[in-house]
Formats: sequence, structure tokens, C-alpha cells
Amino acid sequence: MKKIAYLLSVIIFCSIFTACAQKPAEKTGQDKKQKVILLLPGTLGDKSFFDAANAGMELVKKELGAETKVVEMGTDSTKWEPAFEDASEGDWDIIISGNETTELMNKIAQKYPDKKYINYDTSETENPKNVYSVSYSTNQLSYLAGALGAMVTKSNMELANQENVIGFLGGMDIPGINDFLVGYIEGAQSVNPDVKVLISYAGDFGDPAKGKELGLVQYKSGVDISFNVAGGTGLGLIDAAAETNKYVIGVDSDQALLFKDSDPKKAEHIISSALKKIDQVILNTVKQTAEGKLEYGVHQVMGIVEGGVDLAKNEYFQTLPQDIKDKLTEIEEKFKKGEIQVKSGFNMSTEEIDQLRNSVKP
Amino acid sequence: MDSFWQIIFTTDFAFSVVRVTTPILFAALGALISDKAGAVNIGLEGIMLMSALTGVLAGAYSQSALVGLLAAILTGMLMAGALAYFTLKLKTDVILGGIALNFFASGATIFFLYYVTGDKGTSSSLASKVLPDIHLPLIEKIPFLGPVISGHNILTYIGIISVFGLWYLLHKTGLGLRIRSVGENENAAKSVGINVMAIRYLAMILSGAFAGMGGAFLSMGYVSWFSKGMSAGRGWIALAAEAMGRGTVIGTVLSALLFGAADALSNTLQLLQIPAELIKIIPYVFTVVGLLVYAVATTRKRKAEE
Repeated sequence: MKKIAYLLSVIIFCSIFTACAQKPAEKTGQDKKQKVILLLPGTLGDKSFFDAANAGMELVKKELGAETKVVEMGTDSTKWEPAFEDASEGDWDIIISGNETTELMNKIAQKYPDKKYINYDTSETENPKNVYSVSYSTNQLSYLAGALGAMVTKSNMELANQENVIGFLGGMDIPGINDFLVGYIEGAQSVNPDVKVLISYAGDFGDPAKGKELGLVQYKSGVDISFNVAGGTGLGLIDAAAETNKYVIGVDSDQALLFKDSDPKKAEHIISSALKKIDQVILNTVKQTAEGKLEYGVHQVMGIVEGGVDLAKNEYFQTLPQDIKDKLTEIEEKFKKGEIQVKSGFNMSTEEIDQLRNSVKP
Repeated sequence: MDSFWQIIFTTDFAFSVVRVTTPILFAALGALISDKAGAVNIGLEGIMLMSALTGVLAGAYSQSALVGLLAAILTGMLMAGALAYFTLKLKTDVILGGIALNFFASGATIFFLYYVTGDKGTSSSLASKVLPDIHLPLIEKIPFLGPVISGHNILTYIGIISVFGLWYLLHKTGLGLRIRSVGENENAAKSVGINVMAIRYLAMILSGAFAGMGGAFLSMGYVSWFSKGMSAGRGWIALAAEAMGRGTVIGTVLSALLFGAADALSNTLQLLQIPAELIKIIPYVFTVVGLLVYAVATTRKRKAEE
């Protein structure tokens, strides 16, 4: 019995290997379609990085007619290297990944100089010749969110209160989140110098109940608009806003769309969302690569000017008072002219961040 | 320091303690009854997660919160029943079985969520139902206490009733006596003709029902959708609460309340700009201090007896 089982497993293994080995060989040289593969260091469904990158791949498929594949490598980082090796060995033209895989990608890229690699989100600026990498000016993005929040709290909008206090919910007290915070505070102060900011950190990106609890505390302490920078935890903030009848700004994806069909009342509280346009960036870089226009070996910072970040200008945003929308457009113009320089949370020490936080404490 | 007390002595804070405690309490009751029968259910975290999902799905498709709640409880009972089958019948180690259940739930919930909604993150695209909040007439009018006690989710009240129910079951009924004797000494229980297997099955399934209600509270009370991994360690905290309560109903409730209060405190104290890291350790400081006080008290008692 054991022998049969052993034999069977050998046969199955052999057939899998041969099948894998044959498939790519058959296809080469048939057509000139771009073949693009996305390797995600995690799983889809985060409503953020990964889903946005996946949306970018959908666009690549639809608009450029490329052959695409998305691989969810999972959170076990020991499995990433084999997945990268597999993709690089295969006949993919462009291999896309980002964030946590940066170091690995740069290592693999040097091993396969004929392949092209796109890193859609990294703070590393030194690249091998065949890697193109991107980062987003989250501080510029949250500058807009801060300006929006600070204008809403002062406005006579229906759910705005008397107190000049806005909220910020961070997932963790880490540079990536504090970069958002620094921009948020600067943006808020640019239109409303006396504004106070209530800052909470959940210490977790996946606990919506905690997010709701923190949100309720904020909204009951005079906050009338808060900014969610806490991934899944932050979805709880949206529930808190709906329950206390206040405003909230979403993040990463257009979060009003999450509730638009199932709970339109809740969606109305989400007046906008701060978007990293990861999907557009992936589409554009793949397109430019296909046209041979993209220079590899460089790192590009995608700010407001480059179209890498923006507020979601959906139907809920359109209902805002005209003067607020005008002012935001004005700020965007200023960014485009290079008249606004925002500090980055990445370059600030803990003391400086603390100082900043204390200076806006209500 | 003034503002500290101003924040603590508010109805909002006291109210949030009760709310934060509810899911921990349910899971802790689940841990308690399984522990009493001698096979502690460490799959609570996974059961809560699974029940949170099935509650939302059943609620959304039947458009009835009650059906959702029942589905969540049933899921809890089924999962705990499966764990009981593996450990009691097939003699798997109960710890390994529990861990397997937790891993299974964290993957399976995403799979089913994706299968049903096409989304791997949240169920927000479904119009799911929420269990109602209950405003207690008359009690609502009592100053301070009224607003703290009234207006909670119906599951919070079910939780409070469950505490008394479980205490009554364990200490005032023949079944409770049998459950405790199975946990205390399996062989002694067997020798007087108690069906150890049946009692353990029952205790485990009841434990699943409690965890199921805890899960339903997360996705149908706290928030109105399921999101992946939303139990976020509450099943483990509950096990700690039960252990800290030394396996007594009152001890478990008080420890659950302590963890809930510490968590609520860590949320509220953020208003004072006390460093978040410091606030995060509050529940654990409470635990260590609590255990210390307990250890000192028992040592003294023992010395006095000598």
C-alpha cells in the first residue's frame, strides 16, 4: 500500500513539473503581447496597497491588452524568493512588486539583467539598472486632507460643530504613518492656524472594533472630522462617524464606495478619501515601458504634480461648499507651481514629532 | 491630572468599558465552561472569527438580525463540536486541535468571504443587519448609572444574563456538579457512572455557543460588517481572563472587566497625549499587578495557616 502511494506521488510530482516546464516554452514567440506579473507580499483584500495594485493590473489588461497575472505570495517572507525566482525564470517581460519585497527585488534583478522590474512602492532610492521604483508623497496627500478637514470643522456645514478640533487615527506610531500626520497638521494649519488635532494610534491595522472605540472617543471630545490612516482598523472609524453623525476622510481607496450600495447613509459621512494612485502609476509605467519611454534604474517620487496622489473627488466631495473646493484647487495649483514645501515625517526625529504633536494638542 | 479624572469619571467612559468588555466576557465564559469540564477550548479566537462572518452573511441574506445571531451561535457550536470530536473521539491533543481551529478560521473566513462577496477584506458590500441597542425604561432615568447601564447592545445584556445563568448552572444544578466533577477528577466521575464523554461534548459545545455570541457582537453589534481577522486577539485575552479568574465565574467576570477597563482606558487616555506605547502596556501592568496581589495574598494566607 505504501509503495503504491509512493509511486503515485512520484508520478504526480513528475507530471506537475513537466507541465510547468512545458507551458511557457509553448507560448514564446507566438505574439508580442506584453506579459506582466504582479507579486504581492501578502494577500488581496486589504483595501489598500494590494487591492490598488491589483486594480492597476486590471487596467493594464484592459487598456494595454497585456497578459497579466497576480500572485499572492502571502505573508511568509521565506516564500517570496522562490516566487521571484519562478517569475524571473519565466517569460514575463515586466515583474512588479513593492514595499516589503524591495531588498529581495533588487537582489533578484541583478541576477536577471534582461528582465524589467517595477517597484510600485518603496522608500529605497538606489536601484539596479533594470529596476524602476516609485514612492508617493503621502505628506502632500495628507496636506490636502488636513486642509480639507480644517476647513470643514470651521465651516457651517450641517454636521460641523463649534469646536476647532479635527482628528487623526493612525495605525501605528511609525514613520510611514507619521509622514501622513506631519502633512495633515501642516495642511490644516495652512488654512486654519489655530486648529487643534486629536491624535490616536490604534497599535493595530486589523482591529476595526478598536478603531471604532478610538473614533467614538474622538468624536465625543469635540472632533467633527477625522482622518483614517489605519487600514482595516480605520474602517471602525467610519462606523464611529456614522454613529455620532460626524465626518470622516478615508484613505488608500475611495472608501465611500465600500458602503455606497449597502449603506448609503454611512457613505455620506465619508466626504473624501486620500488616494495613492497606485493603479494609475502601474498602468502608466507599464505603458511607458511598452513604448520604450521609461528610463530604468531611477527612482521617482509621485506627488500631486506627477498624479501619484489625490483626494477622491467623488459625488460626496462634490456636495462640499464651493469655497472649500476652490481653496483645495488653489492649494493643488500652488503645489504644481512648487510654492508649497511640506516637511516629511521620514526625516523627523521622535522628539520633533512629539513636539509637533504637543503643539496641536487641544 | 485634573483632566485625567475628568476623562475617567464620565458616563461615556463607563459605558465604553461595558462595551469593550462584552466580547471578551463572552469568550471568557466559553473558556470557563470548557475548562470546568477539563478540556480548555483554545479555539475561541477562531470560533469568534468564524461566527462573526456567518452572522453577517446569514443576517444579510435573510435580512434578519435574529437569523444572523442564531447562525453565529450555531457556527460556534458546530466548530466547538468539531474540536470536541477531534479531541475526545479521535484523541487529538486539545491544544493542537484548538490551534488548528484558529488557523483554519483565519483562512476559511477569507475564503468564504471572497466566495460570497468577491472581496477578501470586508463584507461591507453586503447590506447586513445589526442587532439592536436596548434602552431600559425607568433605569435610563437614574443619574449617572442610567446612561451607563442603559442603551447597550442586546448582546451585552444577554452576556450579563449569561453570567448569572452560567453561575447557576455550575453551582446549583446537577449537570453543573457533573461538569465540575469531570473537570476535577475524570476517573472519580467515571466511577460514579457519569458519562464523561457526553459531559465534555456538552461543555465544549456550550463554550462554542458563547464564543459565537462574542463573534456576533463584533460584526453585528460593534460594527456592521465583517472584516478579516477582526477578533484581533480577543479570544486569547479571554483565555487569560479566565486563567486570572482562577476558573471561578466571579473571578472570570472581574478579570474580563479589568481587561475591558484597561483597553477602554488606553483608548481614552490618548486624548491626553500620553505616549501611545505607555498606554498600550496598561492591560498588562494590570495583569501583573493583579497576579502579584493575588500571590502575596495567598502566600500570607498560607503562612497564617501554618
